[in-house]
Amino acid sequence: MLADGSRFDGHGLDYRGVAFGEAVFYTGMTGYEEALTDPSYAGQILTFTYPLIGNYGISGTAAQYPRACVAGTVIKQIAHRPSHYLAKTDLPSWLDEQSIPALIGADTRAITIALREHGTIWAALAVGEEELERAERELTAFVRTATTKALVPSVATRERHVEGTTGGPRVTLIDCGVKKAILRELTALGSEVTVVPYNATEAELLEGDPDAIFISPGPGDPTDLPETIDTLRKLMGRKPLFGVCLGHQLLALACGAKTYKLPYGHRGGNQPVKDRVNDHVLITAHNHGYAVDTHSLPSDLEETMTNLNDGTNEGFRHRKLPIAAVQFHPEASPGPFDARRLFAEWLATVR
Amino acid sequence: MPRRNIMVIGSGPIIIGQAAEFDYAGVQACRALREEGHRVVLVNSNPATIMTDPEIADAVYLEPLTVPSVEQIIARERPDALLPTLGGQTGLNLAVELDEAGILQRYGVELLGTPVDTIKLAEDRERFKEKMIEIGEPVAESEIVTTVEQGVDFARRSGYPLVVRPAYTLGGTGGGVVYDEAELRERLDAGLNASLIHQVLLETSLLGWKEIEYEVLRDGADNCIIVCNMENIDPVGVHTGDSIVVAPSQTLTDREYQMLRTSSLNVIRALDVQGGCNIQFALHPTSNEYAIIEVNPRVSRSSALASKATGYPIAKISTRIALGQTLDEIPNPVTGVTKAAYEPTLDYVVVKIPRWPFDKFPLADTSLGTQMKSTGEAMGIGRTFRSALMKAVRGLDLKREKLLGAPYSEWSTAELEAIVVKPTHERLFAVAELLRRAHGEGRDAAIERIHAISAIDRFWLYEIEAIVAAEEAGEPLEPGAPSFRMVDTAAAEFPAKSPYYYLSHGELDEIRPTPHDAVVVVGSGPIRIGQGIEFDYSCVHAAWALRAAGKSPVVINNNPETVSTDFDISDALVFEPPGPDEVEATYRGTNASGVMLAFGGQTAINLASELSRRNVRIIGSDRASLDMAEDRAQFDAALQRLGVARPEGKAATSFREARVFARELGFPVLVRPSFVLGGRAMEIIYNEGQLASYAESAPPILPGAPLLVDKYLRGLEVEVDAVFDGDDILIPGIFEHIERAGIHSGDSISVYPTQTIDQAMTDRIVEVTKSIASELRIRGLINIQFVVHEGDLYIIEANPRASRTVPIIQKATGVNMVAAATRIALGEKLRDMEYGTGLHPRTPYVVVKVPVFSFSKMRGVETILGPEMKSTGEVLGIDETFEGALRKGFVGAGVRLPGSGGRILVSIADEEKSESLPILRRYADLGHTLVATAGTRAILEDAGIACEAINKISDGSPHVLDVIHARKVDLVINDAKGPRELSDGYRIRRAAVESGIACLTSLDTAKALVTALENVPGPPRSLHEYRDLARVQSVG
Repeated sequence: MLADGSRFDGHGLDYRGVAFGEAVFYTGMTGYEEALTDPSYAGQILTFTYPLIGNYGISGTAAQYPRACVAGTVIKQIAHRPSHYLAKTDLPSWLDEQSIPALIGADTRAITIALREHGTIWAALAVGEEELERAERELTAFVRTATTKALVPSVATRERHVEGTTGGPRVTLIDCGVKKAILRELTALGSEVTVVPYNATEAELLEGDPDAIFISPGPGDPTDLPETIDTLRKLMGRKPLFGVCLGHQLLALACGAKTYKLPYGHRGGNQPVKDRVNDHVLITAHNHGYAVDTHSLPSDLEETMTNLNDGTNEGFRHRKLPIAAVQFHPEASPGPFDARRLFAEWLATVR
Repeated sequence: MPRRNIMVIGSGPIIIGQAAEFDYAGVQACRALREEGHRVVLVNSNPATIMTDPEIADAVYLEPLTVPSVEQIIARERPDALLPTLGGQTGLNLAVELDEAGILQRYGVELLGTPVDTIKLAEDRERFKEKMIEIGEPVAESEIVTTVEQGVDFARRSGYPLVVRPAYTLGGTGGGVVYDEAELRERLDAGLNASLIHQVLLETSLLGWKEIEYEVLRDGADNCIIVCNMENIDPVGVHTGDSIVVAPSQTLTDREYQMLRTSSLNVIRALDVQGGCNIQFALHPTSNEYAIIEVNPRVSRSSALASKATGYPIAKISTRIALGQTLDEIPNPVTGVTKAAYEPTLDYVVVKIPRWPFDKFPLADTSLGTQMKSTGEAMGIGRTFRSALMKAVRGLDLKREKLLGAPYSEWSTAELEAIVVKPTHERLFAVAELLRRAHGEGRDAAIERIHAISAIDRFWLYEIEAIVAAEEAGEPLEPGAPSFRMVDTAAAEFPAKSPYYYLSHGELDEIRPTPHDAVVVVGSGPIRIGQGIEFDYSCVHAAWALRAAGKSPVVINNNPETVSTDFDISDALVFEPPGPDEVEATYRGTNASGVMLAFGGQTAINLASELSRRNVRIIGSDRASLDMAEDRAQFDAALQRLGVARPEGKAATSFREARVFARELGFPVLVRPSFVLGGRAMEIIYNEGQLASYAESAPPILPGAPLLVDKYLRGLEVEVDAVFDGDDILIPGIFEHIERAGIHSGDSISVYPTQTIDQAMTDRIVEVTKSIASELRIRGLINIQFVVHEGDLYIIEANPRASRTVPIIQKATGVNMVAAATRIALGEKLRDMEYGTGLHPRTPYVVVKVPVFSFSKMRGVETILGPEMKSTGEVLGIDETFEGALRKGFVGAGVRLPGSGGRILVSIADEEKSESLPILRRYADLGHTLVATAGTRAILEDAGIACEAINKISDGSPHVLDVIHARKVDLVINDAKGPRELSDGYRIRRAAVESGIACLTSLDTAKALVTALENVPGPPRSLHEYRDLARVQSVG
């Protein structure tokens, strides 16, 4: 049920419940386990455009977070009997166990077209008679007060902790809702990653004198995090900074650029990005509803990456200071690994 | 970029492993080159292609695809560059040969796109393996062998089973899986012979691993994208061309998908491919181990499938890459706004099922392995795998709507399991039937058992089981009204402008109104023997004619290989099986003013009554005409009214009755079941014994479909294609066959203009053609086959539709009869068109169509030609003389015989000697040595023709088969009457086929070949030049 009154029907799984959130769609044909556990989807009702979801079950090892992060999900045909040697359970059982309301059998393409034409929109997803009534009753009120402000706190770590081995570059990571794949990439390259909450203070970030600071992806609107932006501004020039996705947007804001909401976001694994430094095209994984306004980039920032589909900014670097960021996900998971080298290249500069 | 003169090489005749996909690719390439302002010189010997239309290229050469022939063309046209990767393996091999012969260098011809060294590297299994090891990509343990003994040695070390893969071959010719030394020796011998470089790769078997393919594109700036990945339901062991293939992969996790994607990019970069490339992987089912099976650095059958599956035009983009453009500057033709540098994402599932010719060859070896056997394929697009699979099943046009049912329901479980273990074309149905037999709780156990014995992933079995359950319950897979969905390459993320649709049910209908009044053209489905690419040719021309007439063509077809299913051809493409439900939905959904059935072969014609019943308006010849031509009684009555003779015949309702009729008519007789395509189960019967064995092997006679028994007249066969508008007739030309009646017209060598019939007979043919067209109330095309026997004209059959010869006659005469027929269907008259009426003037040059067979890919098939069609494709020879055209035709068809000094193994029947001796003497006079066993040798020596002796098989080695296997003969002439499978003659013919030696089974063909050899053809000329000759003549 979209806030404009349009309605899409299907059936539910065993779990009954209502989800209120932003309706978005993901165009990847694989990677549902990664997507459903991606903290950047927190608070969103995720429609899979690919119609057959759950074919290879849930392995647990592909998860990006200890639990499902989406508010609800819409699937054309869900596999009750998965087939894969790594599958620990099937997707329907897992969604039930995670208490995620799921709409099955709906016309996902019609929903996608509606979202493309209307733009991202608040919505409700209900499974069960009473739940449906509740959704109908409460959607308008929800829309009136809906906000993305609570999303980052809901998924970001509360405890400072360390990942990886000692001996390599020491990176402090500002966790706005980090994916496991980012920690995997950084630690696989030998770095020692100290994960701190999104609202860590300047002093907390500089504690232990890290070699560099990494700003993670996460859900929602970057302007919801003014304190983090302030903190980043203070760190500019003092530590090498690198941001991915929400981290990219936060760094852009800290440098004086502006962000805006995209009509219906980029969520999938097939977005072409032009690397303006070496004139190469990368196929990249995306998951964002906001973008950095290229025209607002201050003269200190140089655009390094551009989306070939819609021309949006996909990366920048500071002309003088060690600051760089990309909008897409070099860690993939789900998605292609064309930009994986960016982690190694960045780490090589911070040592 | 300055205008350049660019040569494109096509793929030649349709053979198993190389079909219409290269016409599709070639047309896209030529169009892309011309859009960029270049001049295109096209060479292809296959006349049934759109790419050889004079409108597609600036100079079209219908000439043999051989080095000498292409060198002559290069010398006249002086192209600046050659695009070699669009013409399949044939085009690629020819480009390599031209390069190696120094011809490209001599004439300063640049090779565009992927470098020739990459082509060689990908084909040379040893170098390829080394390269993969160098870049750290896994390949199966293997060894390159060049002798049988080397292979046996490797097998001793590695054990069985082993996969035999000959280098530089097409569709896996000569390859296969072997389980013991005897099989290994046999396969190695065949494989080494099939390989252009006499090299075979022996590979430890990856049997049972998942087979996954990636279609990759790379530009000269090193940008790479994946267009599509595909997963074969049949695990490694069955050639991908013979596998059921699904796009995208369904059982791969994102990690596995990305692992193979990354590997694909590593490979394409290491190989420096510039353009399209297909990479095949084996993925272990229970670990992340994988191995690269092979790489094709060119567009392929798989890339055509991927293009149609995603909407992404790989051939077009590959061509632009070959011109030096990069993916980020080439516009995306589907959205019109984004760039070609992106990866398509699907929101539907695509399933391809191969179409095999086994229905025509009951004695063929139907087992599937590494050697491809299918002739075509049907693709289904659905919102779910289940609906896509069933669309592909229905689209095979085998009159099969369901997975369950006869005959499999009658088979024993052991029989069903046998083909699940060792697959044949019927495995899918066997799996379904086995699942049906396991009720309730037993289903899971049955799935486990099928998985254990076939290694088919459980996912597919679960899905098939769901279809079985729906069929048992009588429930539709997709309830609801039909709704059109778009193929947009982007899963609806971006609005698409390309009008490419498939059908779903009960969902949002996305059809958009066509710009003009819509008219539906019904396509012919998968390519099969008897219904090939020529029907697609007619459909494309019909679409173009509609557009020219201000209408919006809407094409419905399900063959992914073809030009007609390129969304550029029509104003709306509906990718669906051309069945009554789908055609009706398309007609109503597009608000069309009519449906045209005459261009889609028998598949489309067969829809006439059902569509009429549903009040779908058929334009052109209507249902009454179609019925009259198809129904024997009605047709006979029409002929009687006209006073036109046909061979005397009767319709028998039992084999007993057939025997009585045969005696009355007198042997030989021609027998055939009614309502069949391509002469299926049609035979010439010379005596009662043969009739008895026919009765044993032929399909049973069903009520309402009697067995037709005709007097067989061994006369000159003549074929006419005509257009009739109700008043006037237009006959672009009359074909005469080289082989006398009794050989299917598709398998005969045919000649235009006629060479032996006189003016009076020509006049009679024109008159009879017009009266039949008028009597049948034809509005459009009609094809009639005649026999001229002892000075009289008999009609064999009339087809109210486009025929196999339409593209040839259009090409030969320049008369676009499909356009004329389309305009007649829209209400125009011939007299208001530019084509003239009556018989078109004879051209001052001759065209000869020579059939091409794929016998080497069909083990066990008898090669004797008869009334049942066996050829898969054809080539055209054009020359100013009949003899020259004949020679070019034979050369183009791959008949290799030295001008003199060859050795010819002959075997002739005593009763034919008066006819055969003069022909054989001509071969001897050319300096060839005849070789024969005792019987034939006696006949020859009696006639004073020198002959070398050779043992019969029963006389012991060295015998006839030995000299064939050792390739000590260059040609086999084996005149034979009637099928004699498993006889000596059969073994000789099969040995010739397997050894790559031409084998002629008709004296008429042998006579034509010697005539060709006695003459030297003229130089190559383009079709445009030939047309100019005709114009000069008609003006003069």
